[in-house]
Amino acid sequence: MSDFSEDLLRPTKEDDPAERSVRSCSGMRLPWLQKHVESVLTRGKKEKDFAQTTSACLSFIQEALLKHQWQRAAEYMHSYLQTLEDSDSQKRQAAPEMIWKLGSEILYYHPKSSVETFNVFADRMKNIGVMNYLTISLQHTLYLLHHGLLDDANRNLSQAETWRYGEKSSSQEALINLVQAYKGLLQYYTWSKKKKELSELDEDDYAYSTASQNMFSHSWKTSINFSALIQTPGVWDPFVKSYVEMLEFYGDQDGAREVLSNYAYDEKFPSNPNAHVYLYNFLKREKAPREKLISVLKILYQIVPSHKLMLEFHRLLRKSDQEEHRRLGLEVLFGVLDFAGCTKNLPAWHCLAKYLRQILMRSHPAWVQEEWDSRKSWWPGFHFSSFWAKSDWKEDRALAYEKAFVAGILLGKGCRYFRYISKQDHQVLRKKFKRMKKLVKKHSIVNP
Amino acid sequence: MDFPSSLRPTLFMTGPLGLSDVPDTSFMCSWRDALTLPESLPQNSENGAPHLAKGLLWEPDTPGPLPLLPPGPDPWEPGLTAQDLLFRGGPKFRRQPQAVLDVTEQFSRFLWDHGDIAFSSLGKLMLENFNLEGPRSYSKKKTVVSVKRILEDLGGHQPWGCPWAYFSHRQRRFSILGDPILGKSVSSLLGELLYEELATRWEQLLLDDAFTGGALAWLPGRTPRVRQLVYPAGGALDKLYFQEVCLTPGSDPRILGKPGHIQLRGPVRQVVACTVQGESLLAVRSDYHCALWKVSSQGRPAPLQVLKVEKGATGINLSPHLPGELVVCSRSGAICLWTPHDGLRQIYKDPETLVFRDPSPWRWADFTAHPRVLTVGDRTGVKIIDTQGPPGCGLLLFRVGAEASCQKGERVLLTQYLGECDPDSLQPTLHLICTQFSLYLMDERLPLVPMLKWDHNLPSAPLLARLLPPPRPGCARPLLLGGQGGQLQLLHITGEGASTPRLAGPPQSLPSRSDSLSAFPLLEPRSHWQLQERLQAPTIGLAATILPSSSSPVLSLFQLSAAGDVFHQRLHLREDLGPPSAPMASWSPQATACCHRWLTALLKVPPAPSVWAAPTFSHRHLLGFKEQQKVEGKVPEGLREAMAQGRLLHQRDLGSLPTTEPPPGPTLGPKDELSERLEAAWEGPVTAWWEQQRDRTSRPGRQLKRPKRRTQLSNTFSSLSSHLDLSGATRTPHSQDWTSPVSRPRSPVALPSQELTQDLWAQGIPSERQQTLRDYMAKLPLQGNTPEGSSTSLSQISSTQAPPSTQRTLWDCAAELSSHRDTPGGATLPSSQTSSIWATPSRQQVRGLSGSQPHRKKPRMGF
Repeated sequence: MSDFSEDLLRPTKEDDPAERSVRSCSGMRLPWLQKHVESVLTRGKKEKDFAQTTSACLSFIQEALLKHQWQRAAEYMHSYLQTLEDSDSQKRQAAPEMIWKLGSEILYYHPKSSVETFNVFADRMKNIGVMNYLTISLQHTLYLLHHGLLDDANRNLSQAETWRYGEKSSSQEALINLVQAYKGLLQYYTWSKKKKELSELDEDDYAYSTASQNMFSHSWKTSINFSALIQTPGVWDPFVKSYVEMLEFYGDQDGAREVLSNYAYDEKFPSNPNAHVYLYNFLKREKAPREKLISVLKILYQIVPSHKLMLEFHRLLRKSDQEEHRRLGLEVLFGVLDFAGCTKNLPAWHCLAKYLRQILMRSHPAWVQEEWDSRKSWWPGFHFSSFWAKSDWKEDRALAYEKAFVAGILLGKGCRYFRYISKQDHQVLRKKFKRMKKLVKKHSIVNP
Repeated sequence: MDFPSSLRPTLFMTGPLGLSDVPDTSFMCSWRDALTLPESLPQNSENGAPHLAKGLLWEPDTPGPLPLLPPGPDPWEPGLTAQDLLFRGGPKFRRQPQAVLDVTEQFSRFLWDHGDIAFSSLGKLMLENFNLEGPRSYSKKKTVVSVKRILEDLGGHQPWGCPWAYFSHRQRRFSILGDPILGKSVSSLLGELLYEELATRWEQLLLDDAFTGGALAWLPGRTPRVRQLVYPAGGALDKLYFQEVCLTPGSDPRILGKPGHIQLRGPVRQVVACTVQGESLLAVRSDYHCALWKVSSQGRPAPLQVLKVEKGATGINLSPHLPGELVVCSRSGAICLWTPHDGLRQIYKDPETLVFRDPSPWRWADFTAHPRVLTVGDRTGVKIIDTQGPPGCGLLLFRVGAEASCQKGERVLLTQYLGECDPDSLQPTLHLICTQFSLYLMDERLPLVPMLKWDHNLPSAPLLARLLPPPRPGCARPLLLGGQGGQLQLLHITGEGASTPRLAGPPQSLPSRSDSLSAFPLLEPRSHWQLQERLQAPTIGLAATILPSSSSPVLSLFQLSAAGDVFHQRLHLREDLGPPSAPMASWSPQATACCHRWLTALLKVPPAPSVWAAPTFSHRHLLGFKEQQKVEGKVPEGLREAMAQGRLLHQRDLGSLPTTEPPPGPTLGPKDELSERLEAAWEGPVTAWWEQQRDRTSRPGRQLKRPKRRTQLSNTFSSLSSHLDLSGATRTPHSQDWTSPVSRPRSPVALPSQELTQDLWAQGIPSERQQTLRDYMAKLPLQGNTPEGSSTSLSQISSTQAPPSTQRTLWDCAAELSSHRDTPGGATLPSSQTSSIWATPSRQQVRGLSGSQPHRKKPRMGF
C-alpha cells in the first residue's frame, strides 16, 4: 500500500487555498483514500497496464477466497505470479510475501491440494524472497505438524536453523529463536513419547537402559533450544510447559523454578495469568509451604479475580492462621461472584454461604460489611432480583438455596430473593429452609 | 471462568509503532489461525485436520439482499463525492496523485449561486456610496455609483452563470471601485469558512464515524416469533420506526402491520437494544441527545430518560448485566454512566487520547464481564477502568502499537464487548476491536496481547459488528462485520472452555446491497442511476438472527442504509465439504417481483431538489419594472413540466397541439435516442447560446412577437422564459401526481418581499444545508436596519432565528418549512415578487434536464 498521508502532510503554499493540500493532522491512514482520489484525478500518473492487471487480479483472488471458491482463486493465482516482475521495486519486494499468503491459503483449503503440493510450493517460496525464509519455514512447519508429519517438520526446522542471510538483525534473531523453540517442542514430543514407552517397560529390561540413555541425550539439546526464546518477552506457554516438564523429570527443580519465576515475574513480559498458574502448579507439586502458594495466587487474584483457581485460593486462605488471610478469603469469594460469567457458579455460592456463616459466627460482621458496602448498590439488581429468584428456582434449586441464604444474610429477610425462595414449598428442602431462616434471623448483617 | 490453559506463542514488544525491528509473528493467514499446537503428544494430531470444519459456509438464498419495506416517501440524495470536493487538475507526472480540495471552483460557484449572501452585507456597508435613484451624479471623484444605471445595464438580469456576460463601462468602474473591498473581505472571510467546511466534508467522506455501532436493532415483540425491528427513517433520519416482523425458518420474514414511529428532534445515529433479566431497553443516540426507552412485554416503548450532551455524543451502550444502566461518551472526552439509582455520573474524563496524541474527538465506551468495570476507547487505544476505583486510573486493554503489531497509521474504529450472549460457546471476557486494517479479539484478562488478529481488507470503514449465537450447539459462532460501504464479512469464531478463541474455517464475504441490482428490471439510464445510487447508500445498521431449523440453520440478516431502506437476506449453513450441493443462488420470481414493486414505489418518490437555484435580489421591485406579460399555452407549459422533472416530452402529454405545424426539431423517436441527443446538445455551447437568447427575448419589447415563432424547438424552449404563471392551475393532468419540488406552487402571502424570498429559497434546499447557510449568514457582519435593503431580512433572520448556541437541531428548520408549506396554495403572487423569485426559471429547468444524465456533472456547493 502506498503511503498517501505522507503527501497530505507536506505543507504547500499557504496563500492559495486551492493549492493547499488536505489537512490530515491525525496521521491516520485510510486504505480507501486512494480509491477516492483516483476516481477524481485524471491528469496524475496513470497506472500502467501491468499494474492495472496485477491489482485487478489481486482483487479477484481476494474475492474468490472470501467466497470459498478455491479453484477460481487458484486459476487467478497463475496470472498473479507476474507481480514478481513488477518494475516498481517496492511492489516487487512485497510480492513474495503476498504470493505466499494467498497461495498457502488456497493450497490449505483447496479440496484437491495435498501435502506434497504444499511442500513444493513452500520450498519454492522460501527461496524466492530470501527475506521471508524464516517466516515461511515456520509456517510450513506448523502445517506439517498439523498433518502429523513430525519428521518432515523437524527436518524443515533444522534447515531453517542454520540459515543466515546478510547481517544478523534482531528480527532475524527473534525468528531463529522461535525456530529453535519449535524444534525443541518437536524434541519434547519425541521425548514424551519415549517417556510413555519407558513407563510401560520393566526397569530390569535391557531395553530400558538404552531408552533412558536416549532420553538423557535429548534433554541437553532441548534446554538450549528453549532457553534462548523464553528470555525474549512474549507468550510462550507451550514451550515453558514442556521445558519445565523435562527439567522436572531430570530433577532440576531449581532450574524449573527459575524458568517459571522468570516467566511469571519478569516485567518485560505481558501479564500472562498462565505464567502464575504454571508456577503455582509447580510449587504445589513440589509441596511448597502454604505461604508460598498464597503469595503466588495473590498475584493471580490481582490479575484475574475470576480465575478457576480462586476457589482453591479461598480454601488455602480459609485454612490459614493469619486473620488477614481469612479476611482476604472472603474478599476473594466476593470477587469471583462479581463477574458475569460466574453468576451461576454453584461451588462459589456454596463456599460463600458457608464462609459467611463461619465468619459471622466468629463475629466478624465488619469484614462482611466492608465487602458489602461497595456492592450493595448493584448486587441486589445483579444477583438478587426477583427475575433471578424465579429462574434460579426453576433451573437449579441448590443454587437458589445458597443464593437465598446469602441474600438473607446480606439484605435481610425482607429482600425479594430470600422471600421468594423461602415461600416456595418443597418437601425435601423444608427442613433445610427452616434452618436457613433461623440462621438468617440470627446472623443477618441488616438490623431488623 | 476458564482461562485458556495454553496460549498461542506470540512475541511481545512494547512501544510505539515502527521503532522495533520485530517480525510480525501473527502471520495473517486465516489458515494459520486454525492451527493449534498439539497439547502434549502428537499421536492424536491426525485428528487435527478433520476437526476443522473446512466447509463451514453460509450460503445465500438469493444473490443479493431484498428490500423488506417499501421506500420512504422522502427523497434521498447521496452526499458529496470525491469528485465534488477534489481538484481535478493537478500537475502532470506526479508519482502519487495528491488529494487537493478544490476550493476555487466551489468558491466561484458559491459567489454565483449565493451572491446575495456573499455580497449583500458589503453592499449594506457601502450603502452610502450607492445612489439608488435620482439624477446622475457629476462628482469628479466618482465614488458614488448609480445603482439604477448598473441594473439597467444588466438588462434586468444578473448574468448567472454566464461567463460571456457583457460588461458596460459603468460595471467595470464599479468593479474596480469595489474590488479592494469585495474581493478581499469576501475571499478571506468566506474562503476560510468554505475551506474549513470542505475539509470536514472530505474527512467525513473518508470516514463518517457518526453511525459507529449501527442504527438498527431488534426488540422482542408479543411472541418469540414476532419481533420488532427498530430503525430510523425519514429524510433526516429523525423518525424512529418500530416495525413488527414475523420470522420463520421456512420462509422470508413477513411484515406485520404498519410501523409505529416516534418523531425525534435530531437525526438518529445509533440504536442499541438489550434485554436484561426479562426487561427490554432501547437506547438511542442523536448528535446532541441520548434517550432511553423501556419496552413493555407488548412491545410498547415508554420513555425513561433523555440526556443532553453539550459537546456531542459519540457513543452509547447498554449494560448487559444490570437493567437500565447505560454509558454515554461525549466529544469532550467524558464518559458518563447512567443508572436508575444514581442518575448520571461522570466516571472518566480525559480530553487527551489514551496512548498518543490524536486529534479525533471520537470516544467509545462499553461494558465488560464485571458490571462495574468499563472499557473506554478512542482512536489510539482502549482502556479498562473501574468505576468504583479512584478516577483516572485503569489498565490498557489495547494500544495501537507494537504489542498488537499494528501498522503505521492504524487507528481504532470500533470496540465492542462480545460477552452478552451465552457463555457456553465463547468466554464472556472477549472484546472486539476493529481498525481500518484488522480485527482483534482481546481478552480482558490478558491485556495488550491479541487472542486473534485478522486482516479484514474491507474497502470501507468497519463500523458495524454483530456476534451471533451458535447456529447449533458446539458450532462456531458467526461474527458479522459490516463496512460503511455496504460490504459484509462473516467470521466463524470458536473457543469454548479452556481453548483460545480462533477462527473455525476461512472467513467469507456476504452479498452487499449493490449485488441486488441484477434483480431489478432494465431501466432507462436516469432511473438506473437513481437505483444504483440508492443501493450503494452507506450501510448504517446491521441486525441478524439465527433461526434454528430442523434441516439447516437459517441466518436472517437485515441491513439499514443511509437512505432509510431496510434490506433483508437469508443464508443457509452448509457444513459439508465437497462441491456445492445446489447450483449458485439465483433470483426467484417472487424476489424479482418484490424488487419490481419496490422499484415502482421508489420511482414514485419525487426526486430530491438536486441543485439549489440561486435566489436573486428583488431589485426590479425596487426600481418598479413593468409587469411581464404572461403567455398562455399548453406546449410551453408541458415542456416546462417535462424539463423540470427531467423526463421526455411526448406528444401525448400535450394533447392536441394548438398549432397545426409540428415542431420540426428532432423527431420523437425512441426515448433514449432523443434524450441522448438532448443531453449532448445541452452540454455544449448551446447552453450559453440559450442563456443569451433568453436574456434577449425576455426583454419586454420583444415578447409579443414570440408566440408566432414557435417553429423551432429551441424557440419553443426560449418562449418559456416569458411564461411565468406558476400557479399550477393549468397543469397537464399527467404532471399532477408528479409534483416536483421545483415546480411546486410557492407559498403566496403578503409577507414583506424580502422575508419571502429568504424563506422561499430555503424551501428548495435540503435541510442540512440550510443549517450551514444560516451559520454563514450569522457570521456575516450585518448591522443597522434599512427599510428597503434586501439584507435586512438577512440580519433579522440571523438574529432572530439563529440560536445562541450552535447546537441547533434540524427540527427547528423543518418546523419553519412545514409552516410555510401549509399555507394554502393557489393564491397568486404579486407579479413583481414573482418575477424576482423566478427571474431565472430557465436555468432551473436546464438543471432539471441535465439531471437526466447518468453522471452528475457539476460539483455542487459543499454545504
